[in-house]
Amino acid sequence: MEQKIETNRINIFRRIFGVSEFGLLVSLVVIFAFFSISSKYFFTVRNISNILGQISLPLIAAVGFSILLISGEVDISIGSLQAVVALPLLVIMNASGSFLLGAFAALLLGATVGIINGLLVTKLKINSLITTLGMYYTLRGTVYLITKKVAIADDSGSEIFFLIGNGKLYHFLPYSSILMFIILLLFIYIMKSTTYGRRIYAVGGNAEVARVMGINVEKIKFSAFILCSTLASLSAILLASRLGSANHLAGQGFEFQVVAAVILGGVSLSGGIGTLLGAFIGVFIIGIIQNGLGMMNVYTMWQLVITGSIIIMAVAIDELKKRHE
Amino acid sequence: MEDDVLLKIKGVSKEFPGVKALYNVDLTIKKGMVHALVGENGAGKSTLIKILAGVYKRDAGEIIFEGHPVIIHSPADSLSLGIKVVFQELALIPHMTVAENVFLESFPLKKNKAIDWETMSKKTAEILLSIGLSISPKDMIYKLTVSQQQMVEIARALSHEAKLIVMDEPTSALTPKEIKFLFDVIRKLKTLDIGILYVTHKLEEVFELCDKVTVLRDGKLISSNNIKETNTDEVVKDMVGRSIKTLFPRTHAGKGKVVLSVENLSTEKKLKDVTLKVHAGEVFGIFGLLGAGRTELAKAIFGLDTITGGKILIDGQELKVGSTSHSTKMGLGFLTEDRKEEGLVLQMSVAQNITLPSIREFSSFGVIKRKLEAKRSNEFVQKLRIKTPSLRQKVMFLSGGNQQKVLLARWLMKKLKVIILDEPTRGIDVGAKAEIHRLIDELAKAGLAVIVMTSEMPELLGVSDHIVVMSNGRITGEFEKSSATQESILAAAIA
Repeated sequence: MEQKIETNRINIFRRIFGVSEFGLLVSLVVIFAFFSISSKYFFTVRNISNILGQISLPLIAAVGFSILLISGEVDISIGSLQAVVALPLLVIMNASGSFLLGAFAALLLGATVGIINGLLVTKLKINSLITTLGMYYTLRGTVYLITKKVAIADDSGSEIFFLIGNGKLYHFLPYSSILMFIILLLFIYIMKSTTYGRRIYAVGGNAEVARVMGINVEKIKFSAFILCSTLASLSAILLASRLGSANHLAGQGFEFQVVAAVILGGVSLSGGIGTLLGAFIGVFIIGIIQNGLGMMNVYTMWQLVITGSIIIMAVAIDELKKRHE
Repeated sequence: MEDDVLLKIKGVSKEFPGVKALYNVDLTIKKGMVHALVGENGAGKSTLIKILAGVYKRDAGEIIFEGHPVIIHSPADSLSLGIKVVFQELALIPHMTVAENVFLESFPLKKNKAIDWETMSKKTAEILLSIGLSISPKDMIYKLTVSQQQMVEIARALSHEAKLIVMDEPTSALTPKEIKFLFDVIRKLKTLDIGILYVTHKLEEVFELCDKVTVLRDGKLISSNNIKETNTDEVVKDMVGRSIKTLFPRTHAGKGKVVLSVENLSTEKKLKDVTLKVHAGEVFGIFGLLGAGRTELAKAIFGLDTITGGKILIDGQELKVGSTSHSTKMGLGFLTEDRKEEGLVLQMSVAQNITLPSIREFSSFGVIKRKLEAKRSNEFVQKLRIKTPSLRQKVMFLSGGNQQKVLLARWLMKKLKVIILDEPTRGIDVGAKAEIHRLIDELAKAGLAVIVMTSEMPELLGVSDHIVVMSNGRITGEFEKSSATQESILAAAIA
C-alpha cells in the first residue's frame, strides 16, 4: 500500500506561511511601517538608497559568518580583520595606483587569516571562540603597531576605489548593494542546492554523523573559516572606500553587530540551523532600526539601548515559539 | 488489603496535538511490589511515567497516592510526594561527587546555613552500604560506570525516602553482571516496602523480577496480570495485538565470495589480533557482552578509530587507515549503535538524512538535483514503510523504529558491499524489530555482506548465518548457525 506523503509539491500558501523566516519577514514589515509613519525622512528614495548602502557591509560579512556558524564554529576576529586588511589595500594602492592589486592583496591577507584560524581549530583542536578571540586582539594590536594610530589616507586617485563604496547606479542603487545581492543569491543557492551546502549543515548539525557518512569534517570547517574571513575582507574593502582611508579603529564592534544580526535572523550558535535568507532579514532589520532611530533624531546612546532590547526580545519570542511547537 | 496500595491511577488520559498518548488508563501499584510496565514504542509508557514525574500534566483522571488524591504539577511535587523516577538519561552532574549528587535537591545544613559536608558524607556512605555499593561518597560521578551512576540515582531516591521508584529501561546499558546486581538491589528495595514501577522492553526481565505486569498499547490499557498467571506469549500478544510466531524470518541465501576480510587487526584501545572473513550474501553475527569490543571493532573497520596493526580488505583491496571517506567509497556502511548521537542529523529532514552519504549520486558538478533526490528518497520511504507525514519532516520528530529505518534506507540507497549494523534493534519496539530483521534478510539476499553486532542472544541466533563471539577485544569463539547454542556462545563470551 502506498502511503501518501508530501514530496516536493506543496501548495503555495503553505509554502509562504510555512517558511521559517515568515515571522521575521512580518517583523521587518512592521518595523518598516513604523518608521515610515514616525519619520517623514525615512521612506524616501534617498534614505532607502542609504539603507541599502549601509547594510551591504555587514551583510557581505554576515553571509560568510552564517556559513561558519552553521558549520558549528565561530569567528569573532572579523572586526579586527577589517582594520588589518585595509592596510595592504591602501599601501599597495597608493604605491601602484591600482585598486585591483590592492584589493587582491587585502583578500589574500584575509584568506590567510582564515587559513590560520582554520588550522588552529581543525588541526590543533582549539575551541574556535578562544582561537578567534586571540586573533581578535592580535590583529587589532598589529594594526596599532603598524599605523601608530594614524590613519593611512587614500591618495591613489583610483576612481573604482571611491565608487565601490560610495557610487550608485542611477543615483539610487549603491554599487556595494549590487555586490551584496550577488553574493547573497550565490551563497543562498550554494547552501540550498549544492553538496557543499548540504555538508556544511551536516557537519554543524552533527559532526560525528557527518564523519560516519564519509564527510571530511575538518576540511569542511576549514573551508568555512576561509570563506568567512575572505567575505569579511571584501566588506572591509567597502568600508575603506567609505572612509577613504585605512583606519586603526575600523571595524570595532563589527563582529558583534554581525553576530546579533544573524542570530536575530535565526542562525543558531550551536550549528546546523539557520538560513542565509534569515541572516539577510536579520541584518536588514537591524539596519533599518538603526537608520530609523537616527531619522527620528533619537539620542545615539538610546539607539544602542533600543537596538539591544529589540535583539533580546526577538530571540526570546523565537525561543518561546519553538517551545510552543 | 487496601492498605498495601501505594499508587492508584484511575482513568488517566493525555492528549498531544494529533495524538492520544494515553486514554483512560488505570494502574494500581502496591507497596513492596515490582510492577512491570511494558508496551511497544509509542504505547504510552513514557507519557505515563512523565505524568508521574511531573513533567507532563494529565488531561483527565485521578492519581491517588497513599490513599489521597494528589495533583502533580512539577517534578518538585512528585519528589516531595516520594516518587522518584530514574530516567534512561541519568540526571547526575558529572563533575560533582557522589555525595553531592545524592543530596543535590536538599543539602543537609548546619545551623549557620552552610552545607554540612560531614553529615552528607556519612549519610551517603550509609545509603551506599545499605544497597551494597562499594564506592566512596567522595568519588566523582564521571569516573563511575553507568551501572554505578544508576545506583547513585537510586541512592538519591533513598535519601529522599522515596516510596515509589520508577525505573525507565534500567538495564539497557548494563552488562549481565551489573543487571544481576541491579536486581539484587531492587529486591532489597522491596523489603523496605518501596513500590517499583519497572518500565522495560525485555520480557525475560519481567518474568525474572516482577510481581505484576501491565501492558499498554496505543495509549490504552490492554492487560494487567499477576506474573504467575501469564506467560511470555500472552504478553507479547497483548503488546503487539497479534501473535508473532517467528520474530526472525531468515530465509536461506547462498554464500558468495569473501568481500570483507580483516587480518590481525589491533587497536590501542581494545582490539587484539582480530581476524574475520565475511562473505557476500551472509549475515555475520558478532556477539559480545558490553565492553567486549564489538563497537570498537566496527569503528576500527570503518576507519573511525586508529589501528595499531593489521589490515582490512574489501574485495581484496586494502582500505586506507582512518579514512571514513575511503571506506564509504569502497562500499562499506556503518549503522551506529547510538542513533541520536552518531547516526542522525536531527535537524535535517527525512530526505536529507537518507541521501546524506549518497548525495554525490544526485548531483552534477556539486549541484544537487533536488527532484531526483525527493523521488529516490520517496521510493525508500515507501519500500521500508517509514511513517512520516512528509519528506521534509525533521527526522527528530520520528519514532525510534522509523528513525532506524531512515538509517537503513540511507545505506540501502548507497549500494554497498558490506554493511555493519551495531545493535540495530536497540530501543525499538517488537513490531519494528521484526521489520528491521526482515530488512536484514533482504540485504543479505541482495548479495550484501551484513555484519550484525548484538548483545541480544535471541536476535543473534535468529538472524545470523555465521556467529563470532568476542570477549576482551579478542575473538573467543566461532560457530556456524547449525552448531551454535546459547550455552556455547555465552561460554565463549565470558571466556
